[in-house]
Amino acid sequence: MAAPEVTVRLKGLAKSYWRGSLEIPVLTGIDLEIPKGGYYALMGPSGSGKTTLLNLIAGIDRPTGGELEVCGHALNALDDDELAGWRSRNVGFIFQNYNLIPVLDAFENVELPLLLSDMSRGERRDRVERALRLVNLTDRMRNYPRQLSGGQEQRVAIARAIVHDPELLVADEPTGALDARNAEEALVLLEHLNQELGKTIVLVTHDPKAAQHARFQIHLEKGVLDRTIEVHDRPGLPRIPGGGA
Amino acid sequence: MKFLSLVLRSLFRSKRRTVLTVLSLAVSVFLIALLQSLLGTMDSLTVSGGSGTRLVVQDKASFTNVIPQSYANFLRSQPEIENFTAFQWFGGEYQDPRNFFANFAVEPETYLDVYREECNLPSIPPGQVRDFKRDGNACIVGQELADRFGWKLGDVVPLRSSIFNITLRLNVRIIFKGKRKSDEMYLAFNIRQLQEAVPWMKGRVGAFTVRARNAADIPRLCDRIDRNFANSAQETLSITENAFNLNMMKMLGDYSTMVHSITGAVLMAILIVTANTMAMAIRERTTQISTMRALGFRSSQILSLLMAEGLLLSLMGSGLGIVMAILAADVAAKVGGSILPWMADFIITGETLLLCVLITLALGLLSTFAPAYRASRRPITDGLRAL
Repeated sequence: MAAPEVTVRLKGLAKSYWRGSLEIPVLTGIDLEIPKGGYYALMGPSGSGKTTLLNLIAGIDRPTGGELEVCGHALNALDDDELAGWRSRNVGFIFQNYNLIPVLDAFENVELPLLLSDMSRGERRDRVERALRLVNLTDRMRNYPRQLSGGQEQRVAIARAIVHDPELLVADEPTGALDARNAEEALVLLEHLNQELGKTIVLVTHDPKAAQHARFQIHLEKGVLDRTIEVHDRPGLPRIPGGGA
Repeated sequence: MKFLSLVLRSLFRSKRRTVLTVLSLAVSVFLIALLQSLLGTMDSLTVSGGSGTRLVVQDKASFTNVIPQSYANFLRSQPEIENFTAFQWFGGEYQDPRNFFANFAVEPETYLDVYREECNLPSIPPGQVRDFKRDGNACIVGQELADRFGWKLGDVVPLRSSIFNITLRLNVRIIFKGKRKSDEMYLAFNIRQLQEAVPWMKGRVGAFTVRARNAADIPRLCDRIDRNFANSAQETLSITENAFNLNMMKMLGDYSTMVHSITGAVLMAILIVTANTMAMAIRERTTQISTMRALGFRSSQILSLLMAEGLLLSLMGSGLGIVMAILAADVAAKVGGSILPWMADFIITGETLLLCVLITLALGLLSTFAPAYRASRRPITDGLRAL
């Protein structure tokens, strides 16, 4: 039987910050492999290094030690521009506060990552419409973020994260700013993306309910990988509210 | 082009701020364009068609003093002199003190030849030239001045001078069309009229304008004339006509330094306003910029987008300011030209427009670069935390 493809491979990963001459280690000796199509939740108390680890995996921060291979690329070897190009092809970001561009409407926000590609306007339009259909927001595509509810904004952000068909989705507290109903909808949507589109998802969360949707929970404690737990009693996969894929 | 919409939307993110900044830029460019054009117009006054070969002989102490008309005898004997004419500022008013324009008493026999370029002598019908020289009450007026007061050939123009406390009635014998509007904004009449009406002007003139055969002779001529009248009751000062005009302009003060100082202050003000606007506009988008970089925008792309915003802002202000300046210059030439003849030539030149565009482009680049560069290089994770 062939070994499963790996999306994230970390070996002895370390990250420290410096305050003057004082080194403050944030992550130490992280060894981790996340297979393609995996769904992992990073958990742990505040200051345990969850978000730092997510940032390193997403290629928006640099490690101070160890090896970091994501989507087949050794990120340490890439310069800033190469890393930006790599992110634009391989990573979809979902933020706690959605981080939509307020002067662009939903359609234009979702289109943003595609502006970095060579796609024609028609191709971009098809891709954006497909992504918005997936999150069931085609009727709000000309609405600006201020005209959308928090849940709708997060769905636009999810559409933006998948529009360029990345292998890896990283989500930092994606339900942190949502009420229970919208949080559940967002999590169901992520699960669909994982199960039906095969996206690898790495999620940072404090919320045990949100972590319950992942297949594995990785617990960090003071910058060290404490334990990895497989989730057995995951909730079933309901239909995406209002339609979707 | 696919980023143009993003640049425009970002630029008008805060419409009020952008509009106010564009307006302040426009007012500044408007001021710079007007001031620089004013300077150009004033400088151009010191040079006219034949001024390169002309010199002015005036009283050494002040050009407001008169000199003996008999000095003409010496001038006549100089082989380097082609021709010369006497003149005297009259300061006459037509009907109302507000109807001010330049008017001089001149020698009709020689005046037209000495100022042949300015009054466009070849274009004046010989009959009019003859009438001007024969009629002791004749006067010559420029087309622009004639149009202003509706004068026609043969009209009688009463001119009252508060300097000499007399009123002369002058017959319009020549209406000439000059090469520049400012050349058409004056009136000249026979100096004998003035000398007959004012006893102390008898045998005296304000100054002589001398036309040399060669421009190269002028320094030697000036020296020789002044040496000849040295130690006389009224010593002379002979200078080129351009220098004479420049001295007249300098009576307004050191306008060049003044205009450059104001321009510098205005430039500094716009630089600060634009830099502040761009710094604010960029700082409040720290998270947005970091998000775009996380999505894959390179630092150089972010820098380009932000620089494009700054340049666009500057160009909008510049464009509006230039349009305002062109309209204002037109009005200034029409209204101001009736009071100050030289204002009739007032226009915003192509060079001034280019200067304004280049200045605003430079301002746009200067004011945007520092905050844009900082924002494009800031660690993404720092920017994402900055809420």
